[in-house]
Amino acid sequence: MLRQFKDGLLAIGGGALLALMIDSNSQLAMATSPVFSSWLAHGVGALVALMVLSLATGLRGGSASRGAQPGHSPLWFYLGGIPGAFTVLLAAVAVNGRLSLAGAIALMMVGQVVFGLVSDHFGLLRVPLRRVGSRDLLVVLCVLSGSVMVIFGGAR
Amino acid sequence: MLFCMLIALLNGLVIGASRAINGQLSGNAGPLQASLWNHAVGFLLLCLLLALNGWPHAALATIPLGAYLGGFYGALFVAVNSFVFNRLGAMKAALLVIGGQMLFAVVLDWQHQQTAPGVLRCAGVAVILLGMYLSKTTVASGATASPSTRDANQVENVV
Repeated sequence: MLRQFKDGLLAIGGGALLALMIDSNSQLAMATSPVFSSWLAHGVGALVALMVLSLATGLRGGSASRGAQPGHSPLWFYLGGIPGAFTVLLAAVAVNGRLSLAGAIALMMVGQVVFGLVSDHFGLLRVPLRRVGSRDLLVVLCVLSGSVMVIFGGAR
Repeated sequence: MLFCMLIALLNGLVIGASRAINGQLSGNAGPLQASLWNHAVGFLLLCLLLALNGWPHAALATIPLGAYLGGFYGALFVAVNSFVFNRLGAMKAALLVIGGQMLFAVVLDWQHQQTAPGVLRCAGVAVILLGMYLSKTTVASGATASPSTRDANQVENVV
């Protein structure tokens, strides 16, 4: 239980990193272009991940994959960056239309949560099955409605 | 308008798929490997897209340093997200990340604009915090409810 609580805090911290990332990337995108900003962020991200990985490997004397269970990884396990890169284009299309930035972000969050619900419930993309209960739906309702209030309550 | 709404929704699904795939690699090879592959593969694809789109006409040296740090945060984010994805499940990971993102975005906006968030925003923050609190208690009850984990194990055995 304590472990899961820590994982929850880590996930919230991950969200803070994401907010910082979007803040930086959107500044760069405004000064250049969305594709350039994402290209540069992916390049820098690859270098940073490589540095941290080699640092961690060095510190642990050769095995950086603590907690990992080595197994056969099919090719598609390595291709998460492809949908990741396409989100830049889709976001640009959605925002360039008549949809406001806030509305686009809200709908993207709904899409993410729907994907999470469906993949947990049916085990899509080999996600471990987790049955979704009524309490989970209440959490979904709180986080999504609260986020919509934050988005549309903003001055920007 | 409807087309844009569908694209935005689709984008959310694509983001979810990307995180699920990175989570799978993280389970086998570790979160840092997952972050490295995510960024390296994405970078290659974006090289192609940048070639099609063209190099931007901008004085890159005049842009503040902070604008270039997105990749740094992104590398850490993908590692953290891949790690918690396997431990919390797709939905809970997505919800807590969204919640953390929203709370921190309110702080960042506050800092950028030097004005306190309005009433609606504060109410939104309270509702998100309530959702996080409820998810904490779901986690606790989920740990004692064995049927769901048993089902998951059975399915893993079958697969």
